[in-house]
Amino acid sequence: MKVSFPYMGSTIVYKKLFEFLEHEVIMPPKPTQRTMDLGVKYSPEFACIPLKMVMGTYLEAIEKGAKVLVTSGGHGPCRAGFYGDTHRNILKSLGYDDVELIIFDAPQDNWKAFWRNVQKIRNGVPWPKVINRMYTLYRFVQKLDELEKMVQKIRPYEINKGQTTQVWNEIQEKFDKIKTRKELYKVYEECKKMLLSIPTKEVDEKDKIRVGIVGEIYVVMESSINFGIEEILGNLGVEVERSLYLFEWINDNLVPWALRPKRFKEIIKKGQRYIKILIGGHAVETVGHIIDFKERGFDGIIHLMPFACLPELVTQSLIPKISKEVDIPILSLPIDEQTGKANMLTRIEAFVDLLRNRKKGRTKEVFVNEFQQHADEERVVVV
Amino acid sequence: MKSIYIGVDVGSVSTNVVAIDKDVNVLFKTYIRTNGQPIDSVKEGIKQLKESLGNVEVLGVGTTGSGRQLAGAILGADVIKNEITAHATATIHFVPNVRTIFEIGGQDSKIIIIKDQMVVDFAMNTVCAAGTGSFLDHQAERLKIPIEQFGDLALSAKNSVRIAGRCTVFAESDMIAKQQFGFSKAEIIRGLCDALVRNYLNNVGRGKNLEPPFVFQGGVAANKGIKAAFERELKSEIIVPEHFNVMGAIGSAILAKDYIEKTKAKTKFRGFDAADIEFTTSSFECKGCSNRCEVVKVSMEGKVIAMWGDRCGKWTNSL
Repeated sequence: MKVSFPYMGSTIVYKKLFEFLEHEVIMPPKPTQRTMDLGVKYSPEFACIPLKMVMGTYLEAIEKGAKVLVTSGGHGPCRAGFYGDTHRNILKSLGYDDVELIIFDAPQDNWKAFWRNVQKIRNGVPWPKVINRMYTLYRFVQKLDELEKMVQKIRPYEINKGQTTQVWNEIQEKFDKIKTRKELYKVYEECKKMLLSIPTKEVDEKDKIRVGIVGEIYVVMESSINFGIEEILGNLGVEVERSLYLFEWINDNLVPWALRPKRFKEIIKKGQRYIKILIGGHAVETVGHIIDFKERGFDGIIHLMPFACLPELVTQSLIPKISKEVDIPILSLPIDEQTGKANMLTRIEAFVDLLRNRKKGRTKEVFVNEFQQHADEERVVVV
Repeated sequence: MKSIYIGVDVGSVSTNVVAIDKDVNVLFKTYIRTNGQPIDSVKEGIKQLKESLGNVEVLGVGTTGSGRQLAGAILGADVIKNEITAHATATIHFVPNVRTIFEIGGQDSKIIIIKDQMVVDFAMNTVCAAGTGSFLDHQAERLKIPIEQFGDLALSAKNSVRIAGRCTVFAESDMIAKQQFGFSKAEIIRGLCDALVRNYLNNVGRGKNLEPPFVFQGGVAANKGIKAAFERELKSEIIVPEHFNVMGAIGSAILAKDYIEKTKAKTKFRGFDAADIEFTTSSFECKGCSNRCEVVKVSMEGKVIAMWGDRCGKWTNSL
């Protein structure tokens, strides 16, 4: 089957999944302006940006020959659970009757449907093989995420601007070629060395700024829609950690519940201090992660929300309270189809200034110290 | 010969250029309409500065505002800073005990919360509540009242008419409806000022503890109607500083001054000739990878002096 999927984050993982199941993979293109234009044109106006971008991605994948689109559904009251069907209807109305959309909803909602889907994408590959390969993939995701976390810790201190990102791109290419578990571990070690050999400047522990990124999964994971916020922050000398990484998401959502990691449960519990019931999307997790980041000593939080995303709107309305009670600055950024970066940059920069001030407690000193770095960087490297 | 620091704030509606001396006395200020031509307006501002001050020694240059990168590249700025930091810096200088800054410009609205002369929180308009200045301009034009008289007219009204504040589309249709009911222009304008202030405080100031002293600045601070609406809403005095419409530029000049004094660096200022040099901005889509970044290129007489927008740094670092 010619299979494709939504583009979100490190897509080589999904590509591997379908390769392991011996499908012909049609790689969806990284979302661009065209993806957005297509998505916006064919989606309901009041839908949130993830629905539109995914719509655009589907259309581009179909152009490239995809016949089957595989996606995850939703769970709980967020309307994202409804998006698979919306996409299906739109595709139908555009006349793509031969394209199949396979939606993996949360298994506990409908085991039978889940099983039918599994059988479909298993593609007749014998079970032992499937299990073996899925285990490889599981480790694959884990290692890739570990490397990405390293990238986010190295980038702010790199001496040659842009080098970390370049290495990260090379790493992804290397990972793309991996076929077996043995290879995986070997490549992983190589990549780790590559990252560790990037020249960095010494920064005193007390001058380090750490920002946690929380929010709805698509805008948090997909850099083409969030202006590459991790890089922007990295270039401003800030360490970043996201609330969501694929490996953790798999552990939290796909590994059977009995085994649900303790950490995930803790996060939910922390979130429930402010949002008692499940309201869908990642609202409870978002709040839980804000508290968790604070407890782990982070300096600030950037909260990304697709414009008109209800769960994140609920979170946003709680933010002044959380920020005060937990004592951590939080910046909410609504994301929609705008591509003008200027005012987003202003907010992020000012936020980073604020965090540095808070840390040092002296306005003037800090401004001055930072100038050199900023003025030089911004002259040349704006983003 | 006077020694000065230059500050430039390039916003969507106006470009402001100031010169300060080492004691932050404002020696020169100008407020020019950007008219979508930031390069020309920056040049014009620098030219006016030169004409007004004559022979001066420029010790440092700072830029801010949404066009800060571009202005910085053209002038050879020493400091390129976001406008929130710049505004806070200037306000703290003039009103040392300030706690809350309201800054309403052409396109953006901000609230900056200060404690012990330190920015502790800020908010900028999200998708709604943007473009207050531009909206007022537009309404002035529609009602055929010069924008300068807008505030006085609002003050002359005895009653306020309730105008929907939620967003300008609703506000405008509501205003038109109220006009048709026969309310006077003055009443409607006062209602509009109330609505804008209400909307601004609800949207931008959501959940923030607003403590006096309040300082109100940005182009819109010229409007007495808005100032009065703030005072009614907050039941407190609102300070409009003398240089309210160029505070961002002053802030960036102060930042440049601090930087130069601290580092003893020599300024990168290109000189006043910059006003006669031909600068062009162009952009292209980089096809190096699937990111397809839009790369902005600024050229000075054919020579590329700055590039940005590429994620990987391929172009930025090529200079």
